[in-house]
Amino acid sequence: MKVFINLKEWEFPNGTKFIDVVDLIREAKKDEPMIKTIREKTGKANIMLFSLNGRVVQSQEYESLEIKEGDNIRWFHPYAGG
Amino acid sequence: MKSIWNKILKVDLTARTCKTEQMPDEVYQKFLGGAGMNAYILWHECPRGTTTFDPANRLTFAPGPMQGLKQSGAAKWTAGAISPSINMNADSAATASFGIEIKEAGYDAIVVHGRSDKPVYLLVDDEKTDIKDAADLWGKNAYEAEDGIQAAEGEKFECVTIGQAGELGVRYANIQSRKKSFVGRCGLGAVMGSKMLKGIAVRGSQSVEVDDPKEVDKLNKEINKRLAELDKLNDEWLQFKRVGTAAATELFAPQGNLPIKNYQLADFPSGVKNFHASNYAKQLNAKPWPCQYCTIQCHNNCEVKEGPYAYKGKGPEYESFAMVGFNTMVDDVKAVAYACELANLYSMDTISLGVVIAWAMECYEKGVITKKDTYGLDLSWGNAEAMVEMVRKIGTRADGLGYLLGEGTRIASERLGGGSEDWAVQMKGQEIAAHNWRAQYISALNYCTGVASGPNHERGNSQHIWVGHIRLPEWGIDEVENEERWSWNKAADRNAKFHDYCNVINSACHCKFMEFRGYTLTDLCNTINAATGMGWSLEDLRRCGDRITQLQKLLNIRYGWKKEHDFKYPKRFMEPVQEGPAAGKVPVGLEDAIMDYYKERGWDEEGRPTAAKLKEVGLEDFIE
Repeated sequence: MKVFINLKEWEFPNGTKFIDVVDLIREAKKDEPMIKTIREKTGKANIMLFSLNGRVVQSQEYESLEIKEGDNIRWFHPYAGG
Repeated sequence: MKSIWNKILKVDLTARTCKTEQMPDEVYQKFLGGAGMNAYILWHECPRGTTTFDPANRLTFAPGPMQGLKQSGAAKWTAGAISPSINMNADSAATASFGIEIKEAGYDAIVVHGRSDKPVYLLVDDEKTDIKDAADLWGKNAYEAEDGIQAAEGEKFECVTIGQAGELGVRYANIQSRKKSFVGRCGLGAVMGSKMLKGIAVRGSQSVEVDDPKEVDKLNKEINKRLAELDKLNDEWLQFKRVGTAAATELFAPQGNLPIKNYQLADFPSGVKNFHASNYAKQLNAKPWPCQYCTIQCHNNCEVKEGPYAYKGKGPEYESFAMVGFNTMVDDVKAVAYACELANLYSMDTISLGVVIAWAMECYEKGVITKKDTYGLDLSWGNAEAMVEMVRKIGTRADGLGYLLGEGTRIASERLGGGSEDWAVQMKGQEIAAHNWRAQYISALNYCTGVASGPNHERGNSQHIWVGHIRLPEWGIDEVENEERWSWNKAADRNAKFHDYCNVINSACHCKFMEFRGYTLTDLCNTINAATGMGWSLEDLRRCGDRITQLQKLLNIRYGWKKEHDFKYPKRFMEPVQEGPAAGKVPVGLEDAIMDYYKERGWDEEGRPTAAKLKEVGLEDFIE
């Protein structure tokens, strides 16, 4: 099925969970300096946030939520600065 | 078209008249409002030869189609004129509620020209206008001036005022509102002072009609909820409402993005330690100070109760404490916050101020100036007391060095000589901001090619692709590799898109921090459409940004820009630091990158928009 991540089309098998998409994005970004800094400071591996079809997805939903054809997923870094 | 009035207020301070002028839909469809409106007004009303302190210079205050919507980030407005630092068109943005009030008074812009023969302030009360005597406010600081106007007219009036630095023509004087928001860059406060205009007070009671009120309401609720939820899910030290932009220190330092010791060093351990988010919040007792409708609430109100730097007021943003703190090596949080608030009172841009003082410190270190020049102050790096006193000397235009520093580093270094031009970190007359070109080369390209207000990190923001991980997937900026920060790969395309992005946001008059924290270009487009009824696509939005950028470029040319100006970057751009994450990194190839950018923009080899490009963006009537 086709799903959009930051408006880019991706193909996933039916039954893919939201957590699978989240893990994919986290893995791709894990070595970025800002992510590494935050990981070192907080001990948290995961600081990126996600929305699904305009709605913020809480972390406790990741495992249970199944993505569907045409879903629109966006990821967000915790921007800080001026 | 809706969410606009099709009406602007024209104020002639020489003739002491105020009149309204109708504006056709076409102006807004092409330029939206805000920064776009400023460019349009300058194009039509300030011909070649108009200079910054010329009474004919137009100082425009303009909200955009977002004002009137109860959406997070919709408290923004823009001011613009021919700037005294870069001597070209410039615009700058601020918040508080001044722009909302202009809209509620029934105007899409207030355009001031002429010069009063004595100090005045402008009063706008819905349809009623008056130019009032300000003799008893002249000479007061910007906050006292606002208090004075509100005492006379009522607290419901939203005001903008200038302090002594604006009156006395400091080339980077700013304009303030509500003691919390500032039209910072490019010296528009000095333009206001040159017109003997101490302040403007506006009150309005009207509601502008939007095209689809139900859709506007739905979008407001959905977007405001999403932004609030995203902020709440962040760790405390990353929540704007707790620490403002101070979280930037810990995120920028490991990327080599900080400006340290007039951009000479890679690290400043005591500074980074003291200015990290939790220490900032603790030392300054920072509390949220939100703008109207905002769910993110990045401004903070601070209080230092005791000691030589006791104050209560605005907490410094990242750019302010980076330039006044890191860049001068002053690591005392309270001293830096106090100095920034002093600058606010006098009405001076803290970015330029920090660079200017750092430049002076380097002059002192190298013996180009001595204590004889510095009023007996030991202007060594990190001397907080001397730094604070220099802010006073500049703000009051004290004879000698204080006056010279008020001219900015370009003029100051030209006059002082002694090789000091080598460490004047400025381009075109404006000081470089607190994003280090060594951390991402695109910053250098941005500074060299900015057209909206000279070298300005906020009129580009392309550095945020790396330092802030900002993406524009709607416009094709999504997959980015970290190593690309030190290459020119896709730099021209990305820089162009970010320039246009800043222009649409500053013309719609929305706060970019929303865009940086979960508000998308799709949201912006949908909101503009629901408010105005224009039915734009994302491509139309991009074209609007491009159009405004092209018009700003035409204005640059009209007011004296030459190709060589884009290549006169600071010598320091090519001086590497020896350690840290950006060790050895300098933007070699910058000249080629600028030429690639010209090509990307549809400009010829001389950096001028071609007739074909102007036609493409609907500016065929703007060819000179």
